[in-house]
Amino acid sequence: MTTDSMTEPSSETAATQPIYLDYQATTPTDPRVVEAMLPFFYERFGNPHSVQHALGWDAEAAVEKARAQVAALIGAEPREIVFTSGATEANNMAIKGAARFHAGHAQGDRKRRVVTTQTEHKCVLESCRRLEREGFEVIYLPVESNGLLDLDRLTAAVTEETAIVSVMAVNNEIGVIQPLAEIGAICHAKGAYFHSDAAQAIAKIPIDVQAMSIDLLSISAHKMYGPKGIGVLYVRRRPRVRLEPLFDGGGQERGFRSGTLPAPLCVGLGEACAIASRELDEETARLERLKDKLLAGLTSRLEGVAVNGDPERRIPGNLNLSFAGIDSEALMEAMPGLAVSTGSACTSASVEPSYVLRGIGLPDELARASLRIGLGRFTSEDEIDRAIEQIVDAVTRLRGADPAAASTAAE
Amino acid sequence: MPKMVFIERDGNRKEVEAPKGLSVLEIAHRNDVDIEGACEGSMACSTCHVVVDPQWYAKLSEATEDEEDMLDLAFGLTATSRLGCQIIISDELDGLTVTLPGETRNMLMD
Repeated sequence: MTTDSMTEPSSETAATQPIYLDYQATTPTDPRVVEAMLPFFYERFGNPHSVQHALGWDAEAAVEKARAQVAALIGAEPREIVFTSGATEANNMAIKGAARFHAGHAQGDRKRRVVTTQTEHKCVLESCRRLEREGFEVIYLPVESNGLLDLDRLTAAVTEETAIVSVMAVNNEIGVIQPLAEIGAICHAKGAYFHSDAAQAIAKIPIDVQAMSIDLLSISAHKMYGPKGIGVLYVRRRPRVRLEPLFDGGGQERGFRSGTLPAPLCVGLGEACAIASRELDEETARLERLKDKLLAGLTSRLEGVAVNGDPERRIPGNLNLSFAGIDSEALMEAMPGLAVSTGSACTSASVEPSYVLRGIGLPDELARASLRIGLGRFTSEDEIDRAIEQIVDAVTRLRGADPAAASTAAE
Repeated sequence: MPKMVFIERDGNRKEVEAPKGLSVLEIAHRNDVDIEGACEGSMACSTCHVVVDPQWYAKLSEATEDEEDMLDLAFGLTATSRLGCQIIISDELDGLTVTLPGETRNMLMD
């Protein structure tokens, strides 16, 4: 199979597929990644843990190369990379693992506090709730109206009894970038581990676990043009970070994560990281331009459009916008040609307004009027032009049908 | 001569003489304390894993990378775990107290 045949969508899908602007939900797998993975399904199918024959060694070498590619992207050592099924597992492993390990087998090492923020991904918040049921004390810090954590609040919350602080690198709904290096310094001053869910940050912004004092970092391949079903937990070795594993088994992945590694998926994630290392700067500049164009195209033709979250400290591939007076569910229905969302795919089945938007103090009527628009590697200029037309059209139509909405927008 | 204390699996406190220069593993063997030490101190296993009393843990020299790697594999690891073969008795460690962990990762013993 050639790269060309994979990039050209078949005529059937091209005709029916909407313009994809939901890159925070998932990304298409880069054709170069697919190409790198393919041999490992049939020809080179060995178990990377089979140490007694050549097929096993070949798969092991491929997995180790991938491990090094992931490590290189975040300034880590290959041995610090633990493969998981995705960021949800990595987040569970980091938060529950660290808290349970440091819960105190011995007196004098009892760390019973966990600190996080109110706008984390559900899997972080639910892991914390689980720990609360186990008797841990969890502090859920609010964020400011721009979506960022107030560092003085954090400093006050982190104590010597804090086992772990978990703050996401980039928010999955509003795209804001937390001040990671400053947070890391605050954690280390009190001897707490710093964990960051970087599912939305890797391949979007530079991440350096040394410079940012990060002890645990979660990565998801399918958010960065890799395959679904694999992720990574970075676990610092110096000084050694210890976790209680979630799974019992054969002791693979330094005992943190038993289970046979999916070699093709590991290879895909490695390749995705290698591409990101080479292309991050260029891609950032391109997306910045497209995002500016989209925003200008909407605000110049529509009243009452506002960006949710900090306007500067955000990734270029995300725009979370409120359209005053509009119901976002109705808006999406009015634009079948666009694949956008109201928020996290993981919680989009619920009709409640996003807790992230509530968390930044957005009133419910604006939270219900908000869309998450995600741009990425395969978004074209032409698609942005067409998206602007469709959104402007739909919003104008909806406001025309409801004069009250139009007057709200003009206020 | 310095002394040290082993807290055995049944909770029994065993105070023994701890000659300077000997490792905790060697002292255990001299005194019939039940620590395995399968590799005899060559840092190829974690069967001499002991849990150091937190008060004493800070007084020990830092674990090397190799020791940490072996500890990663120890069963019932704690934040103050060490390998007995790597703790060498000195005057400062007079009174050292260690607890034997509940289980080791050697299936043959079970």
